[in-house]
Amino acid sequence: MGKPTLLDEGDVGHAATPDLLDRAPCGFISFRDDGTIIYANATLGHLLGVDVRDLVGESFEKILSVPARIFYQTHFFPLIKLHGRAEEIYLTLRAHSGAAVHVLANAVRSEVAGTVRIDCVMLRIHERQKYEQELLAAKKTAEAANASKMRFLSMVSHDLRTPLGAISGYADVLLLGARGEVNEAQAQDLRRIKEVSRFLLGLLDDILTFARAEAGALTVSRENVGLERVLERVEAIVAEQFEKAGVAYTREPGPVGMTVCGDADRLQQILLNLLGNASKFTPSGGQVSVRWSTDGQQVHIAVADTGRGIPEELLSQIFEPFVQVNREIDARAHKGIGLGLAISRELARAMGGDITVQSAVGQGSTFIVALPAA
Amino acid sequence: MVVDVLKRNNVKVFGRGTQPMVFAHGFGCDQNMWRFITPAFENDYRIVLFDYVGSGHSDLRAYDRTRYGTLGGYVEDLLDVCRALELRDAIVVGHSVSAIVAVLAAKREPHRFAQLVLIGPSPRYINDTDYVGGFDREDIDGLLETMEKNYIGWANYLAPAIMANPDRPELATELAESFCSTDPVIARRFAEVTFLSDNRDDLSGATVPSLILQCSADIIAPVEVGEYVHRHLPLSTLRVMRATGHCPHMSHPEETIREMREYLSGKTHAA
Repeated sequence: MGKPTLLDEGDVGHAATPDLLDRAPCGFISFRDDGTIIYANATLGHLLGVDVRDLVGESFEKILSVPARIFYQTHFFPLIKLHGRAEEIYLTLRAHSGAAVHVLANAVRSEVAGTVRIDCVMLRIHERQKYEQELLAAKKTAEAANASKMRFLSMVSHDLRTPLGAISGYADVLLLGARGEVNEAQAQDLRRIKEVSRFLLGLLDDILTFARAEAGALTVSRENVGLERVLERVEAIVAEQFEKAGVAYTREPGPVGMTVCGDADRLQQILLNLLGNASKFTPSGGQVSVRWSTDGQQVHIAVADTGRGIPEELLSQIFEPFVQVNREIDARAHKGIGLGLAISRELARAMGGDITVQSAVGQGSTFIVALPAA
Repeated sequence: MVVDVLKRNNVKVFGRGTQPMVFAHGFGCDQNMWRFITPAFENDYRIVLFDYVGSGHSDLRAYDRTRYGTLGGYVEDLLDVCRALELRDAIVVGHSVSAIVAVLAAKREPHRFAQLVLIGPSPRYINDTDYVGGFDREDIDGLLETMEKNYIGWANYLAPAIMANPDRPELATELAESFCSTDPVIARRFAEVTFLSDNRDDLSGATVPSLILQCSADIIAPVEVGEYVHRHLPLSTLRVMRATGHCPHMSHPEETIREMREYLSGKTHAA
């Protein structure tokens, strides 16, 4: 055993074991609340390229890199002082050569007979540090790529709206006979042009809403919204779809005069989407129903269908963008790009609620919109 | 909608005195950091503790990127708390970034404040021509990276869980008790606002008297910075403490309490 590396044997309490500590495969350092080092083991000295005897009496901050010193003062020390311990703290030490030594530190603070000490082990994380650095860089790249994708989506859908509007407008002009009389076959083609334009506009709106939601720029108002009024508007729009699909729609009697706190237009958008989906994915002869209830805090609106149901392994995916579970099964599903549910959930969440789903294959699915009660 | 500031900022009021003493925590921490100091003053003052939005047990939903994108948002938080409690003649004890927040708040609404206690103030952390702040830009970038890596372990997996489970406040508690800040993005922005601000021009024109408690060997706010603040902040008294480090109210509470008491009783003599 070489010269003692203790400031004061009584301070440390492990005077009998410095040899063992010196051979431990991790750095070990003890210091006071004010940072004064009272002990450091040989492994730490080796990591830093210094004689640990020179550290004793110095400030703990001295072995830290400048950023780590700030982190120590603003996070690490308050954590140890307030909670008595800190775990898995990443720090960069500064070796005598000036090189950075990355470590993970665990520290515990104890007070014995009025004497305070902070004991800290430090594990070098050379390889892991490189790996984490790569992960962090990859995460940032992915976030940046996602942000630019969203900007792109937003820009493209915005730019496509204008010419689409023009296409639809000119079709109207022709239909009205402003450029001369049109025969019935021509009129039918023009109506198809209009219909397809409208469909494309709807898709663009979805993409735009989704891009906004992803960018966190979705705005929703919070006001008292009468549930039944919104439902009536939605039913008027989807009634034809249900009729064409041969699906029976029923609104089950629920608490009368129910109001939610949210955005009427956004709620309408959500219910249109859910009922639209239900009409598309429920086979002819099936049933779709809406019911609602409240627990005082939240209002739950359930849209249930007797469709094919969603396999359990796919349930977690259906709210992801561009996912359509039934795309292969049902040709009608192609009318869309799989954004509806993703958007609906974003909208519900923006209003302080959520959408969940329960489903059993062969029996049908139930989507439940939960919104804050007014 | 009327904002419930007392809830939003997790305001705690106690003590048996009448004159308010408001404690404003620094970056990286929350109101818990004052617990070694407040017992000494609760007999004589009305103690007010709070957390800035984004720290401790504040209401995270109230966080607004724009509002808290400058120190102004934090000044507003302090003033909001004072307004909500209709404080007059208050003493504000501000640590680190909150020392500057207190100076700015007292300039905005001087009638609310009687005296300020500024622990480790720095109007600018980055060195400039003819100004020693203590740091270079790359040091701050290094801090942001260190924070990022530490918050990855804690916040990156906990924060989304907190956001998704507003009914499970224990998740936020777990994180707040780890780092006093519940969201890595908020913490990063607070760090940027703190360490990249330049408030040197705001020191002049102050009308509320202040005590500057300057630690010796404080790497975050070096003695030169304390002296700079003292030279430029009207009605300020500078005391260089024996305490080292940046958090004397936690590492050397007795000396901090003694200095505060002497100043508040009018016995302090400038160093």
